[in-house]
Amino acid sequence: MTDYAVELTGITKRFPGVVANSDIHLAVRRGEVHALCGENGAGKSTLMKILYGIQQPDEGTIAVDGAQVRFRSPADAIRAGIGMVHQHFMLADNLTVAENILLGAEAQLGIGAKAKARITELARTVGLNARPDMLVERLGVADRQRVEIVKVLYRGARTIILDEPTAVLVPQEVDDLFATLRGMRAEGFTFLFISHKLDEVRAIADTITVIRRGACVGSADPGAVTSRQLAEMMVGSELPSPETRDSTVTDREVLRVTGLQLAADEGGRSLLADVDLVVHAGEVLGIAGVEGNGQTELVETIMGMRRATDGTITLSGTDITRAGTLARREAGIGYVPEDRTRYGLLATQPLWANRILGHQSRPPVARGGLIDREAARRDTRRIVEEFDVRTPGVDVAAAALSGGNQQKLIVGRELSGDPVLLIASHPTRGVDVGAQAGIWEVLRRARADGLAVLLISADLDELIGLSDTIKVMLRGRLVAAADPATVTPEELGAAMTGADGAAA
Amino acid sequence: MSRIRSALLPPALAILFAAALCAVALVISGASPLTALGVMIGQVGQGTTAVDIVNSAAIYYIVALAAAIGFQMKLFNIGIEGQYRLAACVAAIVGGLIVLPPVLHTLVIIVVAVLVGAVWAGIPALLKAYRGVSEVISTIMLNAVSLGAIAFLIRPDSFGVLQGNNISTKPIEPSGQFPGLDTGAGTIFGMVVVAVLLGVGYWFLLNRTRFGFELRASGESATAATAGGVNAKRMVIIALVLSGAVAGLAGLPEVLGRDFAYTLTSPQGYGFTGLAVALLGRNHPAGIAFGALLWAFLDKSAIALDNIGVPRDIVLIMQGSVVLSVVVAYEVVRRYELAAEQRRVAAQLRGAPAADKEVVG
Amino acid sequence: MRHRRGMAFAAAVLSSALVLAGCARDTGTPAAGGDAAGTECARNAAPAAAGGAAAPSAAPIAPNADASALRVGLAFDVGGRGDQSFNDSAYAGLERAVAELGLVQDNTREVAAATGESEDARVSRLRQLATEGFSPVVAVGFAYSESLTTVAAEFPDTQFAIVDSVVDLPNVTSLTFAAEQGSFLVGAAAAMRTTSCQIGFVGGVEVPLIQAFEAGFVQGAKAVAPDVEVDVDYISPAGDFSGFNDPARGTEVARGQLDSGADVVYHAAGGSGQGVFEAVAAATTAEAPKYAIGVDSDQFNTVAAPTNEVIMTSMLKRVDVAVFNFINAVAAGDTSVLPQTFDLSVDGVGYSTTGGGVDDLVADLDAYKAAIINGDITVSSTP
Repeated sequence: MTDYAVELTGITKRFPGVVANSDIHLAVRRGEVHALCGENGAGKSTLMKILYGIQQPDEGTIAVDGAQVRFRSPADAIRAGIGMVHQHFMLADNLTVAENILLGAEAQLGIGAKAKARITELARTVGLNARPDMLVERLGVADRQRVEIVKVLYRGARTIILDEPTAVLVPQEVDDLFATLRGMRAEGFTFLFISHKLDEVRAIADTITVIRRGACVGSADPGAVTSRQLAEMMVGSELPSPETRDSTVTDREVLRVTGLQLAADEGGRSLLADVDLVVHAGEVLGIAGVEGNGQTELVETIMGMRRATDGTITLSGTDITRAGTLARREAGIGYVPEDRTRYGLLATQPLWANRILGHQSRPPVARGGLIDREAARRDTRRIVEEFDVRTPGVDVAAAALSGGNQQKLIVGRELSGDPVLLIASHPTRGVDVGAQAGIWEVLRRARADGLAVLLISADLDELIGLSDTIKVMLRGRLVAAADPATVTPEELGAAMTGADGAAA
Repeated sequence: MSRIRSALLPPALAILFAAALCAVALVISGASPLTALGVMIGQVGQGTTAVDIVNSAAIYYIVALAAAIGFQMKLFNIGIEGQYRLAACVAAIVGGLIVLPPVLHTLVIIVVAVLVGAVWAGIPALLKAYRGVSEVISTIMLNAVSLGAIAFLIRPDSFGVLQGNNISTKPIEPSGQFPGLDTGAGTIFGMVVVAVLLGVGYWFLLNRTRFGFELRASGESATAATAGGVNAKRMVIIALVLSGAVAGLAGLPEVLGRDFAYTLTSPQGYGFTGLAVALLGRNHPAGIAFGALLWAFLDKSAIALDNIGVPRDIVLIMQGSVVLSVVVAYEVVRRYELAAEQRRVAAQLRGAPAADKEVVG
Repeated sequence: MRHRRGMAFAAAVLSSALVLAGCARDTGTPAAGGDAAGTECARNAAPAAAGGAAAPSAAPIAPNADASALRVGLAFDVGGRGDQSFNDSAYAGLERAVAELGLVQDNTREVAAATGESEDARVSRLRQLATEGFSPVVAVGFAYSESLTTVAAEFPDTQFAIVDSVVDLPNVTSLTFAAEQGSFLVGAAAAMRTTSCQIGFVGGVEVPLIQAFEAGFVQGAKAVAPDVEVDVDYISPAGDFSGFNDPARGTEVARGQLDSGADVVYHAAGGSGQGVFEAVAAATTAEAPKYAIGVDSDQFNTVAAPTNEVIMTSMLKRVDVAVFNFINAVAAGDTSVLPQTFDLSVDGVGYSTTGGGVDDLVADLDAYKAAIINGDITVSSTP
């Protein structure tokens, strides 16, 4: 019997064009909270999917309690005592708490009194106060999360994977959750805690493993490490710096947004409120913010994919508030969307067809309502050359390229046709290091050529390094501004959560 | 080369599979598959069957194009049935009531049919674009409405003429008819030419025009199309209206080339055939042409098989299993090829191992 | 197409007691002169010409000939064999020819139509039969009018017949039926039988062929009881032939008529008729019996018990008689002996008495029948 509840050895998982996990070693001691840190796209989720049996590793082995196992499906993992609580809960709203817990696990204790008693017992362990006969739709987020935990416990889990469990909780709820986890840890449960919120990780974890670009960067002692050090491990301080040194900001306004409002689809808090901003030619305006605070909506409103409820948007002095997306693109806006596979690409179509998307009304790829395929191919070849898109040709489907090369293609496309404004949403998210550096360089050059850039990023180093001005967005408002020359990621982080409004 | 193979292999396999399935069904029902096959092939040379196959295929081709236009955008125009029937009925009424110089008369009838089909499809289009009503539901409803509308229009006290126990619209004068090509063994509808032209137009529209690009982009990824400046509502409306306009033509080969009127016994069910043929042809103009011919061939086979006492339902089994296996086969091949391409691209790039780490600029 | 509207329902219920009293007297021989002027459902007397003098014999149209040399092709309409309607009836005629005329079973061929098929399919079907040397070829259903015109011209030496339509070519015999005459009789029977003074007609598809059934039924009912209300409903509109094969909707429509007060329902809806019978069987009670009237064949025999108990009579449209006589005439080499129309006078149409549902009315019905045959009553085929 070893000390380790779970041991992953040499796990490697390749996806077409991308290595998601590369030779990862992870040893989780029994009865500890083991945090797994890394940026989005670093490979945390893939690793956990492998441990939970959703995906199979190309190489490497998994051992549970010292015995080597092979999981072909989550059912295998559950049998081995591993449970997973997903970030997005998988509960049926119209069933009761007990029904949700028993659903699919009827074989264990039936659905009668024995099962009820077991649920009550587990609910006490987890600190779930909702009665078993309550409908899940009436529960709050924190309670639902506990129902999910009871669910995995009911199925016999001793090792529980928590995928970003705090993302949906308010601070008080996070504290409660941590108290519960500590109590359960004392009872011998083991937790794998996935997060990129460094303070929380340091607060709860016994051990921290940092993953970057699919590989283990190292482990850290939460008592000794600082958030800054952790962040450096996650982002990689040896990476090329995204800094832009000389200012190229001009006084020529390209984008001006005034009093922008966006009402929520069905009542509730407005998604955007009183947003004012100006981007000048040669300027990179960075927007910092915790995801879900209105950045996506701001971008989509500027792109015309959403209609502003109030306020004006002007591009180079022309009011485009009412214009359609295509008209805005024709007026000179380029757009690198945050989710390139859903918003940026036609996955099964060849690269040259993807080159046309967003440019279907403009030369060189279109002329008078007709598509010029030859010109599209030619111009795609140019992009492939100029932006170093690694592809065997322009006739392969976009889906065949790796994420980084897809992104370079998109950036190249969006910089075609002489745009005056580029909106870049998380331009280097989930791309490899080479592509990241390449994209930074492209943005820097374009800025020097007088392009106005609106940059949204969750990577604070990227934001600080590239931006000429930074604004912080919180609950649909621009609440603070920061000077990238002086601000630190910590200060920015504090401003993003609203804990510190003094970053200005 | 592999492109052609990947385009032709799935349907070939699917047809073989469907044929095998039918052979089993035939054996179970006590008939000889070989005799059945012989009769199916032999029928082509008899009477006007060959010409009938071409004529029917032309009709199926038109309805399938209408369906394919919707499919490109993942719209299911179930309403083709109602659109082509109502269009044929109204066009036959108009054509019977007016007399114009040749060509012009025919053109007017065609334009009327196109307009009726377009307007009838415009209703679900508007409902979908502005009220989010599923086009499947609304077109099914409109099919029922069009049945009632046709019944009303061809009542003897509306525009109908009683002919024995049948009711028909007023016959179209020769000036409005679309002359066909008499082969000696049947007359090929003149509208076959129109069907071919439609196919060419469809190909051009889809592959060479901005509209076609936007249509396909919307079908592939509605979100990416929106981000690329494609107006989703406009596309829904245009696609459905265009689909209806094409569907409106489907009844005309028979109305203008053989029946010269719309009657109680005018054929039904082409709309659903169109959906199946479009699936069979993978929305590709050449694929649809092949699918339409195959479908027409099988349809005619039913008559010959019935004549030798083989249950006609064997043809339905064949048609159904061909469509299903084609859809499955293409999906399997598509996934396999995408994975293969990804592997190939990855392998080619791995050929330069250091390249991935190299920094641009 | 409901002739009766909602308001009338209350009136019908209110007056039902009176009607019951009035009708009770009528179950025997109809009172002479329609004395019940004050009641809702006054009945006229049957025509005086009764007495069986004009009652036709069921004698064959021509003596049986030898059909052993014939090869007979039968092209069915949609539904084919097993439709419990006119396709089956046509087949019964063929079977009878095999039994009585020496026709060889192996020398017969049946082919059937598909739903919604195109004209060229019908042409091919007939042409195939003619090409293979079948003669005579019987096309069942008016849908074959155009195609038969085409094919009969191509094969002048082949004998053809068409049911329910007229094709004017020398080698084509048109087998048409005076369905309105038979319907008149069952309409009269319904009006004699009703206690609520309200009866119903369920048509399969609203086409001229079926409208003739409606027309005859209404005329017959009105002839007996001028004030009788006739609910007329069709299952599907013209052009949608699903109404002939949709028992569920048949039930629905019939139930609507029964709920609104009708107590005798006549269907001319092919396969949908089964649904009509089921609706009537479900609604009938010992205190308030409900009746159904079948169509085409003697449906008391074809519908399973106990549902068939509600079938008081069936309007017979003897497609079997026509087909048999046609084959017989071809065997004898002379189709000119066949009647222009198969009507009451040749027993081409009529009503059935199996089950005894109209035993008490036969005398009066035969009086009407005689009046129609001798021309005293003319029945229109359009409503």
